[in-house]
Amino acid sequence: MNARPLLSGLGGIGLFLGLWQLIIGSGLIEYDFLPSPWAILGGLWAMLGDREFYEEALHTLAATLGGWVIAVVLGVGLGALLGSSTTCRRYSLASVEVLRPLPAVAFVPLALLLFGFSLQMELLVIVAPALWPSLINTMEGFAGVPQRLSDVAASFRLSPIERLLRIDLPAAAPSVLVGLRLSLSLALVMSVVAEMVGNPQGLGYGLVREQQALNPERMFGYVLVIGLVGVCLNAILVMASGWILPGQFRRPQAGWDTP
Amino acid sequence: MNRLLPAWVGLAPLAAVLVLWQLLAPANAPNFPPPLAWWRAVVTLATNGSLLPAVVETLWTFALGLFIATVAGFALGILIGTVRAVREWSGLLLEFLRALPPPVVVPIAALMMGFSPSMKLTVIAVTAAWPILLNTVAGVQAVPALLSEAARSLHLSWYRRVRHIVVPASVPALLVGLRVAVSLAIVITLLVEIFTALPGIGVLMVQGQRNYNSAQVFGLLALVGVLAYALTLMFAVIEGVVLSRWPPRVARR
Repeated sequence: MNARPLLSGLGGIGLFLGLWQLIIGSGLIEYDFLPSPWAILGGLWAMLGDREFYEEALHTLAATLGGWVIAVVLGVGLGALLGSSTTCRRYSLASVEVLRPLPAVAFVPLALLLFGFSLQMELLVIVAPALWPSLINTMEGFAGVPQRLSDVAASFRLSPIERLLRIDLPAAAPSVLVGLRLSLSLALVMSVVAEMVGNPQGLGYGLVREQQALNPERMFGYVLVIGLVGVCLNAILVMASGWILPGQFRRPQAGWDTP
Repeated sequence: MNRLLPAWVGLAPLAAVLVLWQLLAPANAPNFPPPLAWWRAVVTLATNGSLLPAVVETLWTFALGLFIATVAGFALGILIGTVRAVREWSGLLLEFLRALPPPVVVPIAALMMGFSPSMKLTVIAVTAAWPILLNTVAGVQAVPALLSEAARSLHLSWYRRVRHIVVPASVPALLVGLRVAVSLAIVITLLVEIFTALPGIGVLMVQGQRNYNSAQVFGLLALVGVLAYALTLMFAVIEGVVLSRWPPRVARR
């Protein structure tokens, strides 16, 4: 019963690729820049033989993870502060609400101006938007610690550190983990953006380079790889969340679109 | 006492940073010019006539792209959500495509369509349609069982079931998707402008950066921030108004 959606899902992908192959391969539609899936596979295979490709993939992974770690440290730290103190929240929440919708791409020219073509430039473009999901979700997690648990902490006279480690952090953990996952998806998206229009390194640059070289097979190869990296990063984090919080973690789907 | 404080006291840290910046930064600081210099740079752009067309161009493409995305995303979402075979066969494909970072659409479209206004519009519509489509599909599946059963016992045709039950019940989900789509569409609009140099605010930002005019870059960043905030606020208000008058009982997330 459970296998049925998966089977038809695979069938759907097969049908989609088959139709695509048939239309392009048979010459029904003659179009220079839309290669058939088979040709894309060839492009991907050729890429896998290049040393350059692995360096690009490593660069993007390093930038994504580095930016994510910075964003998470800042976001969870600030979020915990805002979540546990009503005063802090009252005197800064409006600032957060004003700054948060700032479109991340708008940081690209600024980052280029300040740092030139460099990893710092990429990190600024990644951290600026990836900060928010961690901050907001941590804040909500900490603000939502049940009153009863706070009372328990008070009656046991827990020190602030003990209270943080034993009461607040476990209670806020599910929400924090959601924030971390959203931040990671966003970090990957932004590292690709930063490489596309800024720092000429990494998978994002490879994608644009092949586009400008009118090399559609390889360009779609890069698209495929970037998508797979996203799926894998998300899967790893979902697995880690399930391991940290067994039982209470619903499997969320990959994607940047979950509000 | 605390209730007497209005919400805008929360702006205090932001205001403090800007004021300190203004007071401490030298007027000709090369990388971090003070806020008043940003303002002057934006005013310069406005008086030499390059700002208004760029803002209009960006907002117009954004609005048109979002409109196409909403119509197409909602229609496809209803189709996928109501027809079980379509949903099952497209499930895995949608799952992979949703994990794909939206910006990769930009080079694909640039290669296939060249740098043209229609390419800009297509990219915005395609990427912004995505969250609307996925949320609509989820919304259709969350239609209350009572309503679906009512439709079945009345032997409604597919068309009438969609028209009278599914569409009204999935509007709240559409609005949730729209909220994501708005911020995504702003980002993609600017990205296309920066990537292709098609006219818009993004191009002015790139020009500022190339001329090492940091005041212009900061000023436009602030301007974009204000525009994005206003748009987000506007859609939040629209969402609130629609939801408060929506007939079915609505579970808000």
